[in-house]
Amino acid sequence: MPDSASLSITCAGLTKIHDNGVAAVDALDLRFEAGRTTALIGPSGCGKSTLLRLVAGLDRPTTGTVGIAGLPPVQQARRGVISMAFQDPSLLPWLTLRKNVALARKLARQPADPRLVDELIALVGLEGFQETRPAALSGGMRQRAAIARALATRPQVLLLDEPFGAVDELTRRQLARDLPPLWQPLGTTTLLVTHSVDEAVLLADRIVVLSPRPARVVADLPVPLPHPRLPQLTETPAFRRIAARALQALAQGVGDNPALAAQ
Amino acid sequence: MTALARRAGPVLLLLLLWQLAATATGGQFLLAGPAEVAAWLSDNPGLVGRALSVTLASAAWGFLAGNLAAILLVAAAMLWPPVLGLLTGLALIVFCLPLIATGPILRVMMGPGDGPQVVLAALAVYYTTLIPLLAGLRAVPSAWIDLVACLGRGHLAQLVHVRARAALPYLVAGMQIAAPAAFLGAMVGEFTGAERGMGVLTVRFIRDLNTAALWSLASIAALVSIAVYLGVGAAGRFLRLERPPVILAPPRLPQGSAGRRLGRAVLLAGATLVLWWGGMEALGLNPFFAKRPPDLFAALFLAPDAGATWQALLQAAAQTAVFVLPGYLAGLALGTGLAVALSLVPALSGLVTPLAIALRSVPVVTTAPLVVLLLGQGALGTIALVALMVFFPTFVACQHGLQQAPGQILDILRSHGAGRVPQMRHVRLPAMLPAFFASARMGVPAAILAVTVVEWLATGRGLGNLMTLSASLSDYTMLWLTVVLVTLASVLCHGGVAWIERRVLRLYAPEQVEG
Ligand SMILES: Nc1ncnc2c1ncn2[C@@H]1O[C@H](COP(=O)(O)OP(=O)(O)O)[C@@H](O)[C@H]1O
Ligand SMILES: [Mg+2]
Repeated sequence: MPDSASLSITCAGLTKIHDNGVAAVDALDLRFEAGRTTALIGPSGCGKSTLLRLVAGLDRPTTGTVGIAGLPPVQQARRGVISMAFQDPSLLPWLTLRKNVALARKLARQPADPRLVDELIALVGLEGFQETRPAALSGGMRQRAAIARALATRPQVLLLDEPFGAVDELTRRQLARDLPPLWQPLGTTTLLVTHSVDEAVLLADRIVVLSPRPARVVADLPVPLPHPRLPQLTETPAFRRIAARALQALAQGVGDNPALAAQ
Repeated sequence: MTALARRAGPVLLLLLLWQLAATATGGQFLLAGPAEVAAWLSDNPGLVGRALSVTLASAAWGFLAGNLAAILLVAAAMLWPPVLGLLTGLALIVFCLPLIATGPILRVMMGPGDGPQVVLAALAVYYTTLIPLLAGLRAVPSAWIDLVACLGRGHLAQLVHVRARAALPYLVAGMQIAAPAAFLGAMVGEFTGAERGMGVLTVRFIRDLNTAALWSLASIAALVSIAVYLGVGAAGRFLRLERPPVILAPPRLPQGSAGRRLGRAVLLAGATLVLWWGGMEALGLNPFFAKRPPDLFAALFLAPDAGATWQALLQAAAQTAVFVLPGYLAGLALGTGLAVALSLVPALSGLVTPLAIALRSVPVVTTAPLVVLLLGQGALGTIALVALMVFFPTFVACQHGLQQAPGQILDILRSHGAGRVPQMRHVRLPAMLPAFFASARMGVPAAILAVTVVEWLATGRGLGNLMTLSASLSDYTMLWLTVVLVTLASVLCHGGVAWIERRVLRLYAPEQVEG
């Protein structure tokens, strides 16, 4: 199984200036260790989605490079090792839930695996909806379906862009407990963009706090908590301590920005 | 049962009104009612049956050929995107060719068989398939494309897994409009000297002034068109296809500077000339009827009678313009106005909408002789026909556009206690604009087709008359000149509408100009 070979991600001098002149990412140097889960948090509009798209090879950097195990993302994408769940679930409306999830494997040129597909659907709590079309699912259900789809290729690089935005709090905590065990044994390198500090601490091994646009690293915090992380963990002092530091860094990042501080 | 009654109600009402009008006018206005039509049909079942089967066959072949051509052209544009602009430009030019003039030319090229009818039917359908298909293939959320890309796949996988299926509803919606158009094209082809078919019978009964027969033929044409329109729609519902938002909006090309746009126009004109001239040479077409660009240039600028040629052309063009412009504008205004009015008074819409959707597919041009019989050969008849031709598609498109208004925004307005009129102004009208402009653009060639048919069949004026006169005198230079003139005018008006559209949308619906 090629799965066992984990891939690290390196951003060097990564800069993205959009066509309209907006600098979303500016000279970012970051390394994401193979097989670890990193949460990226930062104010909305700071460039998190842009960073993820650069790592996925969907956008080209203006300057600087992204390397996934030393290769350009586009080349790794062609091997079918990258998977991304988008902010907008973007399921194909004409396919049933099961076929939407299975499509990812087809696109990645992997053999069909109905058992894995059904397992993933059950795991994100959508059992019984396999034959339902996206229009009949709620926003949160669609997001969970998109997560199942992203996992269906057993990716080595998993990019999750605010995957729980529309998921209710209880389900979100269940997912935070159930999902990491899925990708950890695969040695998947995961980047998780989120707005929720608690979610970051629950899911990640490391939290990178970004400043307002263009994104710079304000803080880089390890999360030395054991897995599996049960929902009760959020009440423990260790958890709250890390969460508090992340929150503080977030506020500091905003305060650092003279334009926002003046407001 | 009630659903059936709801649908049958408007139809029965229409039949009743029609019969009342016929009885009341008592033959004075050459109006035959449903009773007379039924009587004539039961007297001549064989005649009508044979003609109908001939025309249906031509229409079916043309429908197949036109749709196939559209699909192949679109596939080419998808595989090699840079040709998209040129391809849609050429497609528009071919769509703007005046059928009334291309008919006789095809006739001399292909002889008295079914060839010209099939080609005209194909010409009448391919554009209304091509444009929706392109729109459907391109109207795909970028996230779907990202999904394919991040799994490492390219254009082909995009096409197979995402775009093709996303375009299917657009294809079916385009075919739904195309199916009656194929019937219309076949009939116009038969007008130009076929031996059998509904068009031939129509021309014969115009000469005999046989009102009952003319009304019967028009009724049959209408019924057939409605049937195929509803049939394709039912097929779409059977496949559980969703209805696309706007289907006849041509793809938006990158705008670029004025210089770039001029460059594109020159390229398009050059490609047209090359295809026209080169095609004729390649097929070895007889220069007697297949006029090349230099022949026309000589006739306009070098020949001793160039002055007379100019005068004949311009005079005819002026006569046509006087009818086509008011009719076109009236059709647009009435179609839009009725759609807006019905949206404000929804109670009426249940009665009018089924009728309009059915009548939209009626090949108005095939009723040209009747409208002229009813309203006389003066300005009114012609203008009314042009207006009718533009009215139905505009009405249906605008009504569909009004329903596209985003429900959440309407809910917000309602929650603030806004009534129907503010809802209309702030949400529904902007949502309707793309559909309105799509029909305004498509209405240009339709209006010109309508006016030239009336001029030819009835009034004996304008470009339509000049075309048929030139055809009967074998003056192929003049015939080609009218083709070029009408096509050029159509394309320019089409471009003019698109120009206004861009300006208006930028003001009132900026989100629909992007991308
Ligand atoms: N395709 C694009 N074109 C122009 N500007 C963009 C584009 N995508 C994002 N931006 C801008 O870049 C900035 C960062 O966006 P994004 O990466 O989506 O932020 P985040 O995901 O952190 O909320 C924003 O100001 C946004 O407006
Ligand atoms: Mg984002």
